[in-house]
Amino acid sequence: MHRRVLRYLAILMVTGFCATTAQALRPKDGRDTITEGHRIYDRACVWCHGTEGKGDGPSGWSIGRYAAPRPRDFTAESYKLRSTPSGELPTDQDLFRTITQGIPGFMPSYRSLNEQERWQVIAYLKSLNPAFEQEQPTPIVLPSPPLFPSGNGITNGRALYAKYECRTCHGDNGAGDGPESKAGHLRDAHNLPITATDLTDPSSFKNGATPHDLYRSIMTGLDGTPMPAYADQFAGQEEAAWDLVWYLQSLSGQPGR
Amino acid sequence: MGRHRVPVRRNRVAIEREKDTDLRTHSIGATIVQTVAGLFVVISGTYDMSVQTAEAIPAFARKYALNCTTCHTAPPQLNTFGERFLENGYQLPGTEDGGITGKKNLGDLSLDDFAHYTGVRLRGNVLRAHNFKQQNPPGAESGTVQNKSELGFPEVFSLFTAGTLSKDMGVFAEMESNLEEGATGIERAFITFNNVGGENIANIRIGKLDPSAVFSFSTLRQQLEFIGESTNSSTDAVQRAGLFPLATAAKFYGLRDRSGAVISPYAPSLYNAVAETGVEVRGRPFGDWFMYQVGVLNGSNEGFGDSNKGKDFYGAIRLDYARSANFSASLSGFAYLGNSNATVFDGTRNVDANWNRYGAAAHLRYKMLDLHGMYTLDRITHAPTAALSNFDTTASGVTVALDAYVTNRTLLSLRYDNMDAGGDLTQRTSQTFAGMQIKHYLRSNVAVYARHDLNLRRAEEGNAAARNLRHAVFVGIDISY
Repeated sequence: MHRRVLRYLAILMVTGFCATTAQALRPKDGRDTITEGHRIYDRACVWCHGTEGKGDGPSGWSIGRYAAPRPRDFTAESYKLRSTPSGELPTDQDLFRTITQGIPGFMPSYRSLNEQERWQVIAYLKSLNPAFEQEQPTPIVLPSPPLFPSGNGITNGRALYAKYECRTCHGDNGAGDGPESKAGHLRDAHNLPITATDLTDPSSFKNGATPHDLYRSIMTGLDGTPMPAYADQFAGQEEAAWDLVWYLQSLSGQPGR
Repeated sequence: MGRHRVPVRRNRVAIEREKDTDLRTHSIGATIVQTVAGLFVVISGTYDMSVQTAEAIPAFARKYALNCTTCHTAPPQLNTFGERFLENGYQLPGTEDGGITGKKNLGDLSLDDFAHYTGVRLRGNVLRAHNFKQQNPPGAESGTVQNKSELGFPEVFSLFTAGTLSKDMGVFAEMESNLEEGATGIERAFITFNNVGGENIANIRIGKLDPSAVFSFSTLRQQLEFIGESTNSSTDAVQRAGLFPLATAAKFYGLRDRSGAVISPYAPSLYNAVAETGVEVRGRPFGDWFMYQVGVLNGSNEGFGDSNKGKDFYGAIRLDYARSANFSASLSGFAYLGNSNATVFDGTRNVDANWNRYGAAAHLRYKMLDLHGMYTLDRITHAPTAALSNFDTTASGVTVALDAYVTNRTLLSLRYDNMDAGGDLTQRTSQTFAGMQIKHYLRSNVAVYARHDLNLRRAEEGNAAARNLRHAVFVGIDISY
């Protein structure tokens, strides 16, 4: 038990240190930062996201071809990968996380850009959408996993999986082969066919595969896709949401809790 | 097809001759049924491979956890992102990730890490059917039209090792076993030093390289694979035309390398060679819109020790336009100046000649469409007049190819090829072919294809390979892992 507590403390310290370090290297917002971000964007990002950030780069179409996903349109669209409530813009940390981690299958990790460069790119991306000047994205409260989950967490999670009809898209065993997915009924905001995530393959999770990532995806949804936010359903029942997270982890053979 | 392929072709010629005497004539229907059954067996055997995403050089897909279509419109054809990845020495565009991505201490290495640098590809035709007019065969009636077909197994196996050794230093090696050509060995192998002097100022490649890799028309990235010609082993005369992107081809009949071996008129050569040994420098010092490329090679069919009187030189520029609206375009031009890189037979002996090539190419990509084409003009210079009395010193070629995804998993490819041949006036025959291929991806790393090539000048008749091949059908499979 002590070991588990120590592990959580260590994770919290490392996460906090990394976030602080990344923040410390963040250049001040301003014209110079945006200009430098634009320069980096033109070298690294333009191929998929296009000259004007509309998601229409010359290589963007071939990624999904006649199906989802298309590269993000930074000028107008909603964002999939957020820690903010559905319909809101992402926080700067969300953008930083996406650039750093990439999106498995579709966007490489750009951690090879140094942190300052990533912040510069983020400044440029935000300059493409005036909404970033008007709104102040606020992340949802992301609680730490309970230190002592209930012994029947996975069982509870399985029940929630059934209750909220996750199987409709993700299938009975989470393999992404639910009836709606198999029938090809799922569409994204562009009306392109989209398949449900295979929950047995964490390496394909676009929004990350850690317990926190799963919790965030459940609570905020993936805007522009059929994956809704379940924040309302789990309001005041955060522990139940963690049970669902443990169950999802167990689908891929991870120990769960 | 390049330096080592000319002598290799002789081995294949022997194989072809053997086939000519042993081949049985099948009905196409029966052959197709057998082929489909064979394909089913092969595909069934590969279908359960636990592959998420892999094609072309699947090691990169594994290393970066990406689908192959991040870099390819349709493997092996690159999209603009893939082109810049290649130019940057296998580092993400705009970065120098070779210093950090995937690097581990030697003691921490696992097979998974090995897989991030290594990929394999197995491909080949399991059915070949040629419809042709018999050309003076020993013991057979000349002028009869017949089908010859054969069943086989995928016979081209490639092993790739590629990636970054450190920041701005990359490596590429491809080993290939090609049963048709009777060849096994290192196809290409080189080291890259990137961003020398600043970001994209100079990228250097040293080794056995393909000069046209970053050109608007890349020899090695055609959807319709090379189909070798058949030649008479005693006279070296071409008996059945090869099916190649003819703009890349040698185009001369009767041209020989410095060892005296006849150079196939179909062999991709000079700037468009599959591989030549040398060094090149390229970069985009003024921005993405302009690329320069200069290089020095041993020259056609010259290996270690280079017995040439001098090296061959080439230079190319490429102009890129548009990076939005799902559209991009590039326009390129090159000049390749050979230096005693070929010989011409003057009646008594082979005499040195300079074999030069000039070319222009364009590449347009818009959503599902990928259109690219090239025109090349070859000239033989600095050869004794006596040697050229029966020799046309000029030849040209055109290739235009269109690839289009007609569904998410089905790729339609069309290609037009024309060669205005040069060389020995008694042999040279110009030719025009059109090819069509449907390639269906059963999964991201397993594709089957059917291809039909049609001789557009067959009605002109004449007893030459370029006329006698009426059409050809191929069915094959392409597996990458």
